[in-house]
Amino acid sequence: MTPSMTDSLTHSGKPSTAPDGNLTGHIYDDIQEYDNPTPGWWHAIFVATIVFSIGYLLVWDVSIMGSSISEDWEGDQRAEFARIFGTVGALNHDQQTILAQTQNPQFMAMAKGLFIGNCAACHKRDGGGDVGVNLCDDSYKSVKHVEDLFRIITDGAAGGAMPAWKNRISDNERVVLAAYVASLRGTKPNGGKPPEGEVIAPWPAPSPNPTAPPSPANK
Amino acid sequence: MSVLQRSNIDNVANPNDTASIPHTASPRTGAALESFVYDDDIVRKFLTVTVIWGIVAFLAGILIALQLVIPTVITYTTASGTRPFAFLEFLTNVQFLSFGRLRPLHTNAAIFAFAGNAIFAAIYYSTQRLCKARMWSDTLSRLHFWGWQVIIVCAALTLPLGYTQGKEYAELEWPIDLLIAVVWLGFFGVNFFMTLKRRRERHMYVALWFYAATIVTVTMLHVFNSLAIPAGWLKSYSVYAGVQDAMMQWWYGHNAVAFFLTTPFLGLMYYFMPKAAERPVFSYRLSIIHFWSLIFIYIWAGPHHLHYTALPAWASTLGMLFSVMLWMPSWGGGINGLLTLRGAWHKLTDDPVLKFFVVGVTFYMMSTFEGPMLAVKTVNMLSHYTDWTIAHVHGGALGWNGFLAFGMIYWLLPRLFQAPLHSKKLAEWHFWLGTLGILLYVIPIYCAGITQGLMWRAFDASGALKYPDFVETVTQLIPFYWFRVAGGLMYLIGALFMGYNFIRTWMARPAVYDAPVQTAPAMAPLHVSRPVFRSRLDSNTELGHKGDVFLQHVFHGWWHRAWEGTPYKFIAWSIVAVAAGSLLEIIPMFAIRSNVPSIASVQPYTPLELCGRDIYIAEGCYNCHSQMIRPIWSETKRYGDYSKPGEFVYDHPFQWGSRRIGPDLAREGGQRSNLWHALHLQDPRQSIQQSIMPAYPHLLTTSIDFDEIQTRIRAQAMIGVPYGEAVRDGVSQSLARAQAKVIADDIAKGDGPKGLEDKQIVALIAYLQRLGTDISKPPPTAAPQPAMAPANATQNTGRN
Repeated sequence: MTPSMTDSLTHSGKPSTAPDGNLTGHIYDDIQEYDNPTPGWWHAIFVATIVFSIGYLLVWDVSIMGSSISEDWEGDQRAEFARIFGTVGALNHDQQTILAQTQNPQFMAMAKGLFIGNCAACHKRDGGGDVGVNLCDDSYKSVKHVEDLFRIITDGAAGGAMPAWKNRISDNERVVLAAYVASLRGTKPNGGKPPEGEVIAPWPAPSPNPTAPPSPANK
Repeated sequence: MSVLQRSNIDNVANPNDTASIPHTASPRTGAALESFVYDDDIVRKFLTVTVIWGIVAFLAGILIALQLVIPTVITYTTASGTRPFAFLEFLTNVQFLSFGRLRPLHTNAAIFAFAGNAIFAAIYYSTQRLCKARMWSDTLSRLHFWGWQVIIVCAALTLPLGYTQGKEYAELEWPIDLLIAVVWLGFFGVNFFMTLKRRRERHMYVALWFYAATIVTVTMLHVFNSLAIPAGWLKSYSVYAGVQDAMMQWWYGHNAVAFFLTTPFLGLMYYFMPKAAERPVFSYRLSIIHFWSLIFIYIWAGPHHLHYTALPAWASTLGMLFSVMLWMPSWGGGINGLLTLRGAWHKLTDDPVLKFFVVGVTFYMMSTFEGPMLAVKTVNMLSHYTDWTIAHVHGGALGWNGFLAFGMIYWLLPRLFQAPLHSKKLAEWHFWLGTLGILLYVIPIYCAGITQGLMWRAFDASGALKYPDFVETVTQLIPFYWFRVAGGLMYLIGALFMGYNFIRTWMARPAVYDAPVQTAPAMAPLHVSRPVFRSRLDSNTELGHKGDVFLQHVFHGWWHRAWEGTPYKFIAWSIVAVAAGSLLEIIPMFAIRSNVPSIASVQPYTPLELCGRDIYIAEGCYNCHSQMIRPIWSETKRYGDYSKPGEFVYDHPFQWGSRRIGPDLAREGGQRSNLWHALHLQDPRQSIQQSIMPAYPHLLTTSIDFDEIQTRIRAQAMIGVPYGEAVRDGVSQSLARAQAKVIADDIAKGDGPKGLEDKQIVALIAYLQRLGTDISKPPPTAAPQPAMAPANATQNTGRN
């Protein structure tokens, strides 16, 4: 609005050009009120939000067309399993299967994420150990074979100092995580914790024909 | 006060408002005029503390903003190995200064001290003038003022000491809660309603509608959300648990925004905006429709704070839809405010008051568009628990509440202190510093929120979380947090300019304030003509004709004009409007069993765990850690199975949280060793170098009050937690000591700190190790309280 227009509004009382000429006649402590109609777009959007809300309620919460949040989550879970493990199905947790997974770069990348998210707090990102043991040297506590790694990740050890992860990480994920931990052996991170437990024999070489063949997760 | 006033003392509550003394005849109506004097002293009082508490609240905000960046500075080491900023460490490890305890202080100071006193100043100034009457009782006015300041001081003392109910914006403990109820309704409410009764203006102006709705609704919200069983003078447990407590809390929390930070400020706007602009209000009809739709719809919207949580889906949907429908009712106030300036826009250039009002209302309209948007479930999926919410509320608080209060203060200063404003130029500087400060705060914090939300949900091609280490998502935000400190500082400096302007204007006041005697005729009888309508329909049934006549009456609106002349009827309908949504959401939540399917294996906390939970609450851990995993794939991947409603049935109060500055803790139990927790709590940066969590060394030195545990178990039993034998004298203490010893021994065995068996840290660890573990345990067999058995204490040290 230009200054001249505003001047005409303020100085000439009731300018004929002003749309809001009608006062209600109410005066409160010198405050007056126009009797202007409410804006049309305001009504239109208000009604639209009401119509939208009724529609949303009917579609998502009343009719059978909607799905619940937990159903959506279960759908995501199935889709993710199919995407990642679709070609291999449920993995066994024997020595050969675990060692075979170390050859699958896709799974090792995923296991690294699991390790950082769940294990690194105690074992450090590089596995060098902190509150938890060093996972990179040749000494182990309560581990004799590769499948013991899976067992300890699953059920925990040392009276709960090493927690059990069976309720939190899926079976297949624990298999690839065990494989990832096995693959850390022999890496030499800086500032690793001194060895604890006993030196055990090296892992056997992965079988050329593993029970679950390595395969890329994405076709 | 004039001689005339003193001579007119009559048998009314307030001798300065002598209703029955005929003074002179009104020239217009011939009715007798009555004389009275407005009480501006009380407005001066409220206005002064508004400025003081405002500066305190902004300072507290800057302190806690600094606390989120200081931890990254103190660990900074130069090439020569020195740590030049190590002296700042006290900001991260002194218990009374920790973020968890000071964040409630900041929010309470901003909401109840700054905004609260601002609305009281506005209400006391404008109500007297809109009613043409002095406040009913000077005594109640002063009791209200001093009572409210006592409440604020109590809050400032108890919150840093860790006395809290653990519910956001309702932290204050039960004796203070009682005081709030008395001061709010007994002093303020009674005084306001009696002033309405003794008014000389027949009809209530729209500002008074908003004030009245504010008073009744805040009373309702405060009383029902704060119901608790005391367990000592400064400790209590919410009578509600888990899902229902969450529902009550966010019904309260959301409507605290609605009825403490929105409706009274709309009332303020409706009085001071037309006053400052010297223009009539844009539309009376819009006032009516937006007032009623706002108060009716707002009250339903609380559950949008709990999307994707264990709250039943129907409640979540209602929360979302009513939020969406709230958009236009909110904007009704905004456009009525802005369009009042039609024809007065040129005044903006040289009036800082109008500048503050216009920018304030603009922020209101942005926030009330953003609010409904954030309430949409799919948007909320990204925004919830992130800084997006923090940016949203600061746009509202700094922009709308702050700027409206500042505009009002500058408008009132010369009028109340009867001296010209000391410096208009300084006020202009305040305006520009404040505006730029808000932008410098909110824009980076929006970026921070969206960044963190996207990082939490990002996966890489292998199917792993792209940022599995939570602290990576925190480190990314630190630069944004520095901008926030800078923006907050600008806002504070602006407020300090205002403080200086205030003092200088006050210094120029006259020796004695002029208190002009007002005159007005007594209130006229209600006269609203009821129009006669005839059916516009040609041929129809009797019912059709009646319906058409009824609709014409409704749309004509004469009945509303009549209500405005009968405050009690008006207030009764306001109560109906706010009670409708409340009852329709809350009653089904408590009455329908299927809302919270029970889980047999979920048992009450052991006495030591309960003690640890109280420490968790006292330290304000919920300010940074949620305990609610949503059924979202990225979230269950990070934190474990999503939270179920039945897991929280013994949580008095619930601790779901609203922001993840740190990771979710709903399934923290058994994830890390006791030793890890002990070292991490002692100094988080020992375990996670980039952590910004405060250190809690005092938990390793402060002893557990074992006797107090018994009192607390009994209080829990009173609100229905099945503690059985544990309520007997001495039983809780011995159970707690036994469990504490197991944990302390475990920590000592792993080369951790020794001698912790009676220290608070073991109680907190016991609680953390219990979190979210019950659901995967086998259901209890025959024993009525298996959670009480000491054997279970061993199990809870981490092996679940």
